[in-house]
Amino acid sequence: MRPTRPRAPVRFSRNGRFASALPGETLAQSLSRDGPRSLARSIRYHRPRGPFCGLGQCTGCLMTVNGVPNVRACQTVPQEGDDVRDQNAWPSVEHDLLALFDRLFPRHLDTLHGFRRPGFLVPAYQRVVRRLAGYGRLPPPYASPPLVAPRLEWKADVLVVGSGRTGSALAGKLARAAPRASVLLVDRRREGSPLPEDPPPNLRVHRGATLVFLPPPRAGLFQGLLSLESGGTVDVETPYVVLTPGAYDGSLVFSGNDRPQVFTGDGALALSPSGAAGPFRRVALVGTGARAQEIFDRLGSRVAYVISLFPLEPPERQAWEARGPRVLDARLLLRARGGHELKDLQLKDRRTGALERLTVDAVILATRRLPNVPLFFQAGAAMHWRSGGGAYYPVLSPNGATSVPGLYAAGSAVGYERSSASPGLEDRVVETLRCRLEGQEPPQWEAPVPGRVTEEGRNPLVPYYHEWLLAGARGKALLCPCEDVVVEELDEAVHEGFRGMEEIKRVTGAGTGLCQGRYCLPETLLLLSLFQGLPPQELGFITQRPPAWPTPVGGLAATLPGPSGSAWETGGSP
Amino acid sequence: MIPADPLRPEYDCVVVGAGVLGLFTAHHLSRRLDPRRVLVVDRGYLSAGASGRNGGGVRQQWEAPATIRLAREAVGVYRRFPREFGYNPWFRQGGYLFLAFSEEEAGRLRKVSGVVRSEGLPVRWLEPGQILRRVPALAPKGLVGGTYLSSDGVIFPFPVLWGLYQDLRRRGVEVRTRTEVLGLSREGPRWAVRTSRGTVRAPRVLNAAGGWSREVSALAGLPVPNTPTRHEILATEPVKPFLDPMVVTLRRGLYLSQSMRGEVIGGLTLEHPGEGTSAMPSSSLFLREMSAEMARLIPGLASLRVLRSWAGFYDETPDGFPVLGEDPRAPGFFHGNGFGGHGFMLAPATAPRLAALLLGERTDLDERLFGPGRFLGANAVRPVEGLTLG
Repeated sequence: MRPTRPRAPVRFSRNGRFASALPGETLAQSLSRDGPRSLARSIRYHRPRGPFCGLGQCTGCLMTVNGVPNVRACQTVPQEGDDVRDQNAWPSVEHDLLALFDRLFPRHLDTLHGFRRPGFLVPAYQRVVRRLAGYGRLPPPYASPPLVAPRLEWKADVLVVGSGRTGSALAGKLARAAPRASVLLVDRRREGSPLPEDPPPNLRVHRGATLVFLPPPRAGLFQGLLSLESGGTVDVETPYVVLTPGAYDGSLVFSGNDRPQVFTGDGALALSPSGAAGPFRRVALVGTGARAQEIFDRLGSRVAYVISLFPLEPPERQAWEARGPRVLDARLLLRARGGHELKDLQLKDRRTGALERLTVDAVILATRRLPNVPLFFQAGAAMHWRSGGGAYYPVLSPNGATSVPGLYAAGSAVGYERSSASPGLEDRVVETLRCRLEGQEPPQWEAPVPGRVTEEGRNPLVPYYHEWLLAGARGKALLCPCEDVVVEELDEAVHEGFRGMEEIKRVTGAGTGLCQGRYCLPETLLLLSLFQGLPPQELGFITQRPPAWPTPVGGLAATLPGPSGSAWETGGSP
Repeated sequence: MIPADPLRPEYDCVVVGAGVLGLFTAHHLSRRLDPRRVLVVDRGYLSAGASGRNGGGVRQQWEAPATIRLAREAVGVYRRFPREFGYNPWFRQGGYLFLAFSEEEAGRLRKVSGVVRSEGLPVRWLEPGQILRRVPALAPKGLVGGTYLSSDGVIFPFPVLWGLYQDLRRRGVEVRTRTEVLGLSREGPRWAVRTSRGTVRAPRVLNAAGGWSREVSALAGLPVPNTPTRHEILATEPVKPFLDPMVVTLRRGLYLSQSMRGEVIGGLTLEHPGEGTSAMPSSSLFLREMSAEMARLIPGLASLRVLRSWAGFYDETPDGFPVLGEDPRAPGFFHGNGFGGHGFMLAPATAPRLAALLLGERTDLDERLFGPGRFLGANAVRPVEGLTLG
């Protein structure tokens, strides 16, 4: 939180009606300050949606702001006089008549085989389905940013991507250890991430700068593309890149998992910043790990239930109970019911088969952290499946080097939950890079830094999902909320003979939406492994298509060359 | 897609490439031959090549009457496709709009539309005002006019492949994906096709390998003038329908359409498209140039975000016509390649003719335009298909 903020509330309009936000509040925070609100409608069935991921990745809070469609309310701080409107709903998000399609097709809408007969009706089908699809409207030309945003060129000796705990510490240490090297630290977030303490002069920090494209290096140089929140783009050139993009809370598949008031841990924290209540009073927190504790610490007595998908050991159970909430372990999340608000959550005891119904106003998913890995794929780094994390991670040597020369990584994106081990992986990366930059031979480490998620065994979510499938909960269970793909479609695709992630992505559409597969692909991989009867690592993975984050056409189109040179001369805000 | 039993040792025909042309041709072959004696192999997964990477445009506006006739027939096949094959590729006939931004381009388009009209298709010349009524989002600056044919359209490519694949599977044709051809050699009257899953023999081999067709021909010892060139496409986040026709500009070879899901999908021709099949990477140069052209044409696009971009190969020939038929140098070796980025548009009409050629029958294909022999020996001035954009 910056200390100097105007105290007066910001006034804007939602659908033409007066609304106000506290200074610094995001649109999503201000709109759900007085309780649960659905902010958007889903793409096919027009199901109500609310903030979910809190990171600007999902489609739960897409709104039209000043004519620009598909703006993420959770990432947008309203400005005085902003015109905020619902989109993809008629007449409004609260009462959307198009939600009829959700009722008309209780299982799912089969666009793959359906709408073929009779032939003379096909054009009419196309008109209707086309109108249903799409989120906001193309803005009028005057709402678009002018195509004169600067195009910058920056050079640095080391580019560190992601200023979380690991990235900022690493960048600070490296800049101090190699004082003649220029270190550039970029982060997608404009604020909220920790900064290196006492940054030395050879370290520059740019916030609101997203590395969207990182092709494999050519002649020892990475030529990446940064997208700036201000609208411009930067061609960045560097011999060394350290990726510390961190991890995010994953989703979980159950019926109604797309309802408003179902959040990931990140989403809940984004809506309930320190000191603010957030739109929940009676929460079911799913997960018991370090992340769940972090969320519990923030929400405290608002957590009514702590649910574990797996059996808990008595000491852990007692520790949770001592803090107040009711603890339910070894449970299947069958179904969340509700409309704009959550009505209840249905559970099944995995040991006894007993059914329960909890009355809660929010479900917070803190079951697993997923690594942010698209840039590793783009750069061509060798990846491998680590069952402990239930995801693909880069293959790392003990000094933090990936298989791509010059590309290093550390932190939770490569499977370290906390940088507690000392000397940690980031210290080895710092020492290796210092030696490389100063022309020395870097030390060799034999053993990897301990504490990385395991690669052996089976991810416990695989048997969990097996039981969940057998339990046969009613209602749509969303595999890919961005494109409204349900689990049943995955099952049917496998029955039709489609195999492997590449084919499944194309046939179901999972992974082609706005989150670029961040929430659907990890679950698809686990469920597909059940449907195909193969371990997840044998199903292949999809090619990660650039950009790594959705990037405005206007920013990419910026062809006006701005001042070039190092990041220093072109400035930027630390 | 299905875990494989071992291949049989002999077939009547081996089709190399499970793209739209290979599958359509196998479909027609399987009606004439014992379906179990037809084998289709592909090095990747279904839709890994250009058939799964194209922009889905299906147009009938061409410079050469022979191409127009094929394209016209293809439109009919795609209209019937959902009813015949059980999969819905959402072929939407929103028209194709070629835009001219100079008198020279306008002259060229008028010439093309004259030929198209003489083939009986109601292509129209639109003045800038009429164009803006059809696509209000367009920036009118510099627009001279354009040609518009309402029965052209856009198709979702994947379901076409899946429908064909399921149809072949039902009939008993073997389609083996992830099966690479490693060698081709003649053994008397037959070809021995060495694949990554074993060697099979057949009297006829069809090279329908798209971007990899030059490599497949080379395996048989046949040099061909086909060149694979890399082209890229991007897709934006989905918005409500605002763009009915496919829009093409001659200037940069830009094409742009809006899918059924609402994404804006398009590509353009870079000044130096990469050649060769060694890599299929996307480039930031394309992202930049494409974005700049898109935003110049439709300014509102500037605030949409690019979701993803990908690359695929055009299998280009020197004259812009595909290569269809038996190679005069190698009896039993057939070409079905060189579509230069337009295989998806033309395959439905080309495949039945190719199947007939494979069965030794005569077709209405003009050998001087399409025959593999046209590149052999010293040739006189030959016709060229010039409208190879979009």
